[in-house]
Amino acid sequence: MKRKVLCVLAVLLVISLLSGCSVKTSGDPAESKTTTLTYWTFNGLHEALFQDAAKKWNKMHPDRKIKLNSVVYPYGQMHDNLSISLIANQGVPDLVDIEQKRFATMVKGNKIPLVDLTSLVAKDRDKFVESRLTMYSKNGKLYGIGTHVGTTVMYYNTEVMKKAGVDIDKIQTWEDYVNAGKQVKKKTGKPITTIETKDPNNFLPMIIQQKSGFFDKNGKLILNNKINVKTLEFLRDMVYKDKVAVPTPGGNHHAEEYYGFMNQGGAASVMMPIWYMGRFLDYMPDLKGKIAIRPMPAWTKGGDRSAGMGGTATSIPKASKNIDLAKDFLQYAKASKEGNIKLWTVLGFDPLRWDVWDDPALQKENKYTNYFTNGTGLFNTLLELKDEINPLYMTKDFPAVSDKLATQILYKTIKLKNESPKKALDDAARELK
Amino acid sequence: MKVVHSNTQPVTLSKEKKRSWFSGMLYSRKVAPYVFVAPFILSFLIFFAYPLVQTFIMSFQEVLPGETTFVGLENYRRLNNPTFYTALLNTIQYTFWTLVVLIPIPLVLAVLLNSRMTRFKNIFKSALFIPVLTSTIIAGIVFRLIFGDMESALVNSFLIKLGLDPELWLSNESTGMFVMVLLASWRWLGVNMLYFLAGLQNISNDLYEASDIDGASTFQKFFHITLPSLKPVTVYVLTISIVGGFRMFEESYVFWQNYSPGDIGLTLVGYIYQQGLAYNNMGLGAAIGIVLLVIILLVSVISLKLSGSFKEEH
Amino acid sequence: MNRKQNTALSKVSVNALFILLCVVTLFPLFCLVLASLKPSTELLRFGLNLKLDFQVMSLKNYAFLFQGGSIYFEWFKNSLLLLVITTALTLFFSSMVGYGLAVYSFKGKNVLFLLVLFIMMVPIEIMMLPLFKMTVALRIVDSYTGVILPFIVAPVAVFFFRQYALGLPKALLESARVDGCTEFGIFLRIMMPLMKPAFGAMAILQAMGSWNNFLWPLIVLRSKEMFTLPIGFASLLSPYGNNYDMLISGAVLAVIPIIIIFLFFQKYFISGLTSGGIKG
Repeated sequence: MKRKVLCVLAVLLVISLLSGCSVKTSGDPAESKTTTLTYWTFNGLHEALFQDAAKKWNKMHPDRKIKLNSVVYPYGQMHDNLSISLIANQGVPDLVDIEQKRFATMVKGNKIPLVDLTSLVAKDRDKFVESRLTMYSKNGKLYGIGTHVGTTVMYYNTEVMKKAGVDIDKIQTWEDYVNAGKQVKKKTGKPITTIETKDPNNFLPMIIQQKSGFFDKNGKLILNNKINVKTLEFLRDMVYKDKVAVPTPGGNHHAEEYYGFMNQGGAASVMMPIWYMGRFLDYMPDLKGKIAIRPMPAWTKGGDRSAGMGGTATSIPKASKNIDLAKDFLQYAKASKEGNIKLWTVLGFDPLRWDVWDDPALQKENKYTNYFTNGTGLFNTLLELKDEINPLYMTKDFPAVSDKLATQILYKTIKLKNESPKKALDDAARELK
Repeated sequence: MKVVHSNTQPVTLSKEKKRSWFSGMLYSRKVAPYVFVAPFILSFLIFFAYPLVQTFIMSFQEVLPGETTFVGLENYRRLNNPTFYTALLNTIQYTFWTLVVLIPIPLVLAVLLNSRMTRFKNIFKSALFIPVLTSTIIAGIVFRLIFGDMESALVNSFLIKLGLDPELWLSNESTGMFVMVLLASWRWLGVNMLYFLAGLQNISNDLYEASDIDGASTFQKFFHITLPSLKPVTVYVLTISIVGGFRMFEESYVFWQNYSPGDIGLTLVGYIYQQGLAYNNMGLGAAIGIVLLVIILLVSVISLKLSGSFKEEH
Repeated sequence: MNRKQNTALSKVSVNALFILLCVVTLFPLFCLVLASLKPSTELLRFGLNLKLDFQVMSLKNYAFLFQGGSIYFEWFKNSLLLLVITTALTLFFSSMVGYGLAVYSFKGKNVLFLLVLFIMMVPIEIMMLPLFKMTVALRIVDSYTGVILPFIVAPVAVFFFRQYALGLPKALLESARVDGCTEFGIFLRIMMPLMKPAFGAMAILQAMGSWNNFLWPLIVLRSKEMFTLPIGFASLLSPYGNNYDMLISGAVLAVIPIIIIFLFFQKYFISGLTSGGIKG
């Protein structure tokens, strides 16, 4: 009998524990004016930006206080969870970071589950780098506010370049770049750069530079057009014909293998967006004071010298219960001048609004500027480039094309070298149609 | 008895009746089994049958927020593409190799461990079992470090010392498969060995003694007594290995996060994630799921049938 | 004489084989511990090597876990809580169902058993969205109930308990009935204690499953205060470079409890697994 009672007690205890856990902690009644906003992200740094903004916001708006409940999920799983929740129309956050590749899939269909944010940038739209708004728009409506322009630049290892006797300011075109590569190779035995085989961070900016992309303005797949085939051939030739580049160790510029390789001066340069500065600081400490930032080489003299790459947009799901507050807060955090300055000072990103690029705050020294040889004057260089950033058109198939490049095309043409660029792109285009 | 009981106290009839009905329930051998299996039936209906039917329906739909459209067999038709076949082939290969490794080797090890020759049996059993306790994610972290592409990474530096060429373990088709199978083998070898040990302990010693009198050799005994007696266990291990192989996802995920070069690590479940979630084609994802389910059922039933297990059941 | 030598030789070689196998098996775990003692910058530069360089090795990575702002131990606590509750409930209900399927004969019994086998074969990945919708409808999203309830009856455990219960002595059942025990009382007071080894075996498997469970808790849980270790880990693995400092030392600490549980139940586990056995 005693044992039975014990059993019942145990079950009761467990049940009470369970129900205890499922009770939501409701807000403190004392701060009844405070609204809790849930914010999902997959990047701990973005969390810092938003928490900082929330603190400032609460000072400015004591009547509309916010308690930001931010949750950092693993990258893939956060997006998976969001897809499921948007379809179930339940359990969505008030604010959510969506990475550019996954963004296109979230605005699929006719009933877009995200709030129209066009009004947040309406007032000074001309101050934004427009191509970064186009990216997160559908049918003329804006559904997410980006985090940076992702201006793609060339990071040169000046030590290696000096040894090879190359003046990096003389490199204007890709042809110059390849010739410089030959000299670097001859003098130092090192490749001038690395080509990603698991991510399109070389290929994509180089085709955007030439006003190409994966899709045209009307959403038609142009993956295997002439420009793209020619560009992929160019990349392959850099590795196998001119022998001035190598496939990236570890497959992309975020691999541990690459960080180790580059940190030891493995290659003379790397082409990545501005947001890659942080990666130098965190993973390549030995290169401090040796890296110079320059525009990308152009395809022709006077051609476009950059492209916007990567990105994460913050959106508001329609099922959120605090849409108005979330909108106003988002406007403050990411679309205002003040917020845009923070994008640089907190995250080291090139802000979406170019009208802050010459702000004194962006000229000040900080840990980012101190790492690079031309860190403090950086935004003067970027201001030159702002009108050379062409738009990238997205459709719902963007992630599929991007993945095809990452897992098949680059791997087969550059790593294995067992397929011609034309055939690889044609095959992929056929499958994706 | 119950009737008498309620007759003696007519005042509290209704209450009594209830209690007797209740205690009748408690004692009834007719009702009891249903009480015992009720949790299963409930959870089956709510958390299995209903979602599965929904998945089946979804596989004929295009599912988007706030709108679902019936598209007939379109989702199934779209499976006719090279990526799906890559995923299918990878899954089959992986399953095949795990079967090749994870059945004969644990079986032989179990026989050896069960023999009088081996000492420290419990220590060996425990040591070989420990890997499965680590999650695939954690195991994956270590394996990625061990099989790194760098020349200074563990396995490669070892190869170089032996005078061999370093290998890009996670970038090539065959080595990628090798590393996945190795990870699975490392984790599951000890478990399967214990299953076989369980089977061995159920074999009566009389059989061996009888064959000793007949003068059978060790090998004869292994093939004529041990193997046939282990058949039920083998069928069980075979079935869970087949199911496990076809359901594989994590062993690939920990190495490539579902974006492997040349899709060398793409499995059917990985393809469900890619299409259903990453590309937000839930309907297509459901269709892949249904196809996967049919494959698992078919292969399991065939393997059970070939091994004659159905006859033994009833 | 010759034969004796032969057996001695094979004895040595078999034991040597097992020792070698154990070393190989435990090697990755050794690597994990070793890596946790090295600074992540070294791992990034050279990859993992076996050099025991005491100049660079330290417990610093473990200190990261204790530093302010780290919610590692919050995850740890949650995982532990879930492990205890899940294991207790799953074992209770699964043994109940398995026992019911083994001991009684009733209509639909075979169908139910086939369904158990069927569930074992279905990957939950194929029905994530409908299952999530169900938890939404039941209002158990972002609760541990939502994590546990859908899988409270584990088919593998049901299968195992059924096999085990088939071997229980029927005579005991009859004599208990004569003594006036209820059917459920027989199960709780007489049969359950007899199934102790089976509980030992399944406790480890269920605890391990719960401790390492990743997919479903991730979908159901929404507040970071409720996250479990595997979810926390995965958020340290990012496409833009991994946080190795915490990742590896955290992994070492995460493996330890489950190994302790195993060593604690080990005796029951092995005897449970081997004496119950899969017979048919």
